[in-house]
Amino acid sequence: MSWELVSGLETHVELSTNTKIFCGCTTKFGGEPNTNCCPICIGLPGTLPKLNRQVVHYAIMAGLATHCTINNVSKMDRKNYVYPDLPKAYQISQYDKPLCEHGYIQLDNGRKIGITRIHIEEDAGKLVHEHGDTFVDYNRGGVPLIEIVSEPDIRSIAEAREYVEKLQMIMKHIGVSDCKMQEGSLRCDVNISVRPEGSNEFGTRTEIKNMNSFTNMEKAMAYEYDRQIDLLESGGKVTQETLRWNPDEGITTPMRGKEDAHDYRYFREPDLVTIYTTDEEIEAIRQELPELPDARIARYESDFGLPEADAQLLVKYRKIAEYFEAAGEGLANKKTVANFILGQIFRTLVTDEEKENGAVAIPPEYLHDLAKLLEDGKIKMNLAKTTLDKMLETGKPCTDFISEQDMGDIDEDTLRTICQSVVDNNPKAVADFKGGKDKAVKALIGQVMKQTRGKADGRKAEAMMVDMMNDME
Amino acid sequence: MVTREEIENIALLSKLFVAEEELDGLTKEMDQMIAFADTINQATDAGEEFDNINGLQNAFREDEVVPSYPQSEILKNRDGGVDGFFYVAKHK
Repeated sequence: MSWELVSGLETHVELSTNTKIFCGCTTKFGGEPNTNCCPICIGLPGTLPKLNRQVVHYAIMAGLATHCTINNVSKMDRKNYVYPDLPKAYQISQYDKPLCEHGYIQLDNGRKIGITRIHIEEDAGKLVHEHGDTFVDYNRGGVPLIEIVSEPDIRSIAEAREYVEKLQMIMKHIGVSDCKMQEGSLRCDVNISVRPEGSNEFGTRTEIKNMNSFTNMEKAMAYEYDRQIDLLESGGKVTQETLRWNPDEGITTPMRGKEDAHDYRYFREPDLVTIYTTDEEIEAIRQELPELPDARIARYESDFGLPEADAQLLVKYRKIAEYFEAAGEGLANKKTVANFILGQIFRTLVTDEEKENGAVAIPPEYLHDLAKLLEDGKIKMNLAKTTLDKMLETGKPCTDFISEQDMGDIDEDTLRTICQSVVDNNPKAVADFKGGKDKAVKALIGQVMKQTRGKADGRKAEAMMVDMMNDME
Repeated sequence: MVTREEIENIALLSKLFVAEEELDGLTKEMDQMIAFADTINQATDAGEEFDNINGLQNAFREDEVVPSYPQSEILKNRDGGVDGFFYVAKHK
């Protein structure tokens, strides 16, 4: 029998606010343990939370960017559980009135992955386990999160990955989170079940907690998919439970025993008042949203004639997309600019982080000026490429490397004279060419380029020299 | 009616130790509290709906950093722990 994978994700995204959700402590990552704390975020009795306006704003942005309905009336609730990373013994979250509901993310294959809800809540502190002892750092406690809950619409590991990548790209694009999985600012809980291909019923699901990298998520899902199928095919049953992925052993293990079965006893948070958002406020936030990644990719394809893959690569990093648009401003041929960025410039931005930061050695205006010279036919591609390398190396504008003499075409007679002398001075290459080695002409073109400082039209030179050589005895 | 099993479960979730001989008393007390809440539920003409007795809504704070407490203050009441961390006491 063949089995279908069914999966839904709960994605936690840390919001890029300056301060925590209920107090004015900084959200900065790192720092000495328990230094970004106050009586509110370590849950001392008698303190009162006060909701950060920006958290609501960001969550609404996230909802709008994922086609959600924004609820005009929303409230906070207490989710009760006792665990040392949660100093109040309850987490302030949202239960039955989340800020956003009923959205979706569209995958490249056209399938829509439904988003059930997006709600706001506080992060827990960080536990450090050492030699059988447990220590707590509450710096992360109270950092604002949005939890994005998907419908069980995901049907493959590849779809799960694409869904998270799209979410990540959208959240980064609209600036609500940096979504760094390695720093834990984006983490996923994966719900997964299997069912016979063609069935409409859901199987019993398990939940794998806290996936903090794509690799781990894919491996854990593959393992769990196989494990559930093996269980069912050998006549067993899947138990609904929460699992932990053990990357060292490559297995999932149950996280809590039955005695800890979920019973969060949610109730309304009495210390916080209702959140009302008017339609006008929601519209104002919608107007504020930047162009979303999918729209941007589509525009690059239709307006600029970029191939889809190139458009996706540019848009993947918001700052690179902005750089591209700034450099291409006013140019007829944006494709050249895209090629410069994806080729030579990307070679200087090795890590994802460098691309993320848009840390290009030259400002977009410099690239624009170079591309403009090329577009106006003042320089040839060869010269443009070597110049760009020099610019990236030094951070200087193209005018530092291209002189007036470099610009403009070489007239036909001059080119012919140069070609003739190159042919005359390279009997070996000529002989190779005449002996059937077509490639030999490339070496000759190289010589012509060198002598003309890259100004020559390579194709014209090639045609001339081929004619010359064919005319030779 | 609140049952003994419910009390045991609540104790477990709250990580509270309840001795066997305390169970009956606690069950009775909890039952009385719930019964009191039920009295409130009987009210039928509560009038206009409201969700906050003070009529407050949208009480927000601006996203501006205020200095946190010194680490020494935060850790003042900790029991054990090293290097600025709190220590999680073990169950006896």
